Amino acid sequence: MSATTLIARKEAGELLLSPRGLAWLTAVAVALSAFALLLVSNTELSLLDNAQVVYDMAGIVTGLGSLLGLVVGIDAVAGERERGCLVPLLLAPASRSAILLGKLGGVAIAWAVMYALSLPYLWAVGSTGQNMADGMLVCGLLGTPIVLGFGFFGMGLGCWTRSSRTALLTGIVALLVAASPLLLGPGLRQSAVGAMFDAVNPFSAAVDAYDAVIIDSQTIAAQGAHILVAAAWIVLTLVFARSGFAKVTR
Amino acid sequence: MLLEIERLRLSIGGTQILGDVRLGLEAGEIYGLLGPNGAGKSTTIAAALGLRRPDGGTVTVLGQTAGANEPALRRRLGVLPERNGFYDWMTAESYLAFYASLYGRSLARPQIAARLAQVGLAPRRGQSIGTFSQGMRQRLGLARALIGNPDLLILDEPTNGLDPRGRREIHDILTGLAQNGAGILLCTHLLDDVDRLCQRIGIIVDGRTVAEGPIAELIRKSGRRARFRLRLAGPRPNERPAESLVSIVARQDDWCVVDLDPAARPDTVWRELAFRGWPIAEIRRDGGGLEDLYLTLTEGSAA
Repeated sequence: MSATTLIARKEAGELLLSPRGLAWLTAVAVALSAFALLLVSNTELSLLDNAQVVYDMAGIVTGLGSLLGLVVGIDAVAGERERGCLVPLLLAPASRSAILLGKLGGVAIAWAVMYALSLPYLWAVGSTGQNMADGMLVCGLLGTPIVLGFGFFGMGLGCWTRSSRTALLTGIVALLVAASPLLLGPGLRQSAVGAMFDAVNPFSAAVDAYDAVIIDSQTIAAQGAHILVAAAWIVLTLVFARSGFAKVTR
Repeated sequence: MLLEIERLRLSIGGTQILGDVRLGLEAGEIYGLLGPNGAGKSTTIAAALGLRRPDGGTVTVLGQTAGANEPALRRRLGVLPERNGFYDWMTAESYLAFYASLYGRSLARPQIAARLAQVGLAPRRGQSIGTFSQGMRQRLGLARALIGNPDLLILDEPTNGLDPRGRREIHDILTGLAQNGAGILLCTHLLDDVDRLCQRIGIIVDGRTVAEGPIAELIRKSGRRARFRLRLAGPRPNERPAESLVSIVARQDDWCVVDLDPAARPDTVWRELAFRGWPIAEIRRDGGGLEDLYLTLTEGSAA
């Protein structure tokens, strides 16, 4: 088994077997449950169109996935460095690229688990309409580069900052700014500044693609511009993580 | 030489940590790296492992420049770092299996069990690392360092947190490894460990090597022979011990003060005296030796 696979498996174990990882997954499940319950039982929200509910849930899944990816990415470098686990790993006979790839694989596994966890919730809120399958598909396709990008961004922050706390605070601020399209009303997004920010914001790209596919029933193939922004985001964050990891010592 | 450091200089964040460090470690040797807190021992180790880039000087590890970052080089290295962290959710057995796989060694469960038994952790092999005491973690760290059968071992405070029996067991393991040809760099504050294990030492003060060489030679040069006060349970025999081992400084009826030759190991001397009929009832250190040498050389250092 290659060093990359071994380390990715170890990272997956960290998420699925350690109390810390299980606590994060439980928190994510509780948050999804709360949102799903709100969407189906709240008097006003339950009146929303089925497509709108699936769209909202897909955005929430991407937001929570990005938060989980960010935390897992930061913990994979800054957390391990603080716990003294990183140096023994760096001194093992595996190349830095293999170690980095393994850790990136850990972020991907975290998102895969989170996505699998979200499917029953998407089904619960969208099973009565026509848009559930499209919602699941576009959430997987566009959500993956966004979430992985935040995971890689977290790893980069973990490399470049001195502590995991600083990295986490910086990452959460960046995530809140990126996720503002979910938090702000459409009026602000249509302003000049909002439109400029939307054009380069990967989170906006995902949310706009969800809107186009789930609500406007467009095809996924027609979302080229959004997919391009998401792809650029993952490449940029990968470069950020890679350059940071080359310098990380302890 | 397995490890050779010459005129090593290194700065971190614009502050010079190492000014002029030198050391050389041969195969089959245990080398003690000593110095006060903050003297630069761990930074020296980090430079040797390629984790810190030197500003100047040379660091050669197993014939290659440190920092070459070659997995093949690291395969021949075993390291117990100063901050020794573990994946607490793993068991000792799965942790060692993980590292063995990283070293390209697919060890079966009995082999892993044997490795854990070597460091006294056999009964704990299925136990979660999160429940381990500091001493048990230290033992597991040593087992990890030994997993690749290294030619060169770099150990930072390996006996930290161990009880006296544990320390003795680790001493025996290290002595055995050195006898089998491994070179061991031992960074520690415990002069007793150094006295028992090391043939040569380097003392770093404020980022500079202030003394380096065989312990006996350094002590002989400093004129600080190890002094002991012996309480005798009966009259001392007339036959004098070999002058090459011990010289009597003062004596009364039931006690005697002796200086040991720097090259002589205390255990050997006590056996020799007992063989010659000395009724030794109690032995107390009375200064001198490595401790005095260390205290003199590190006097006035910042830490």
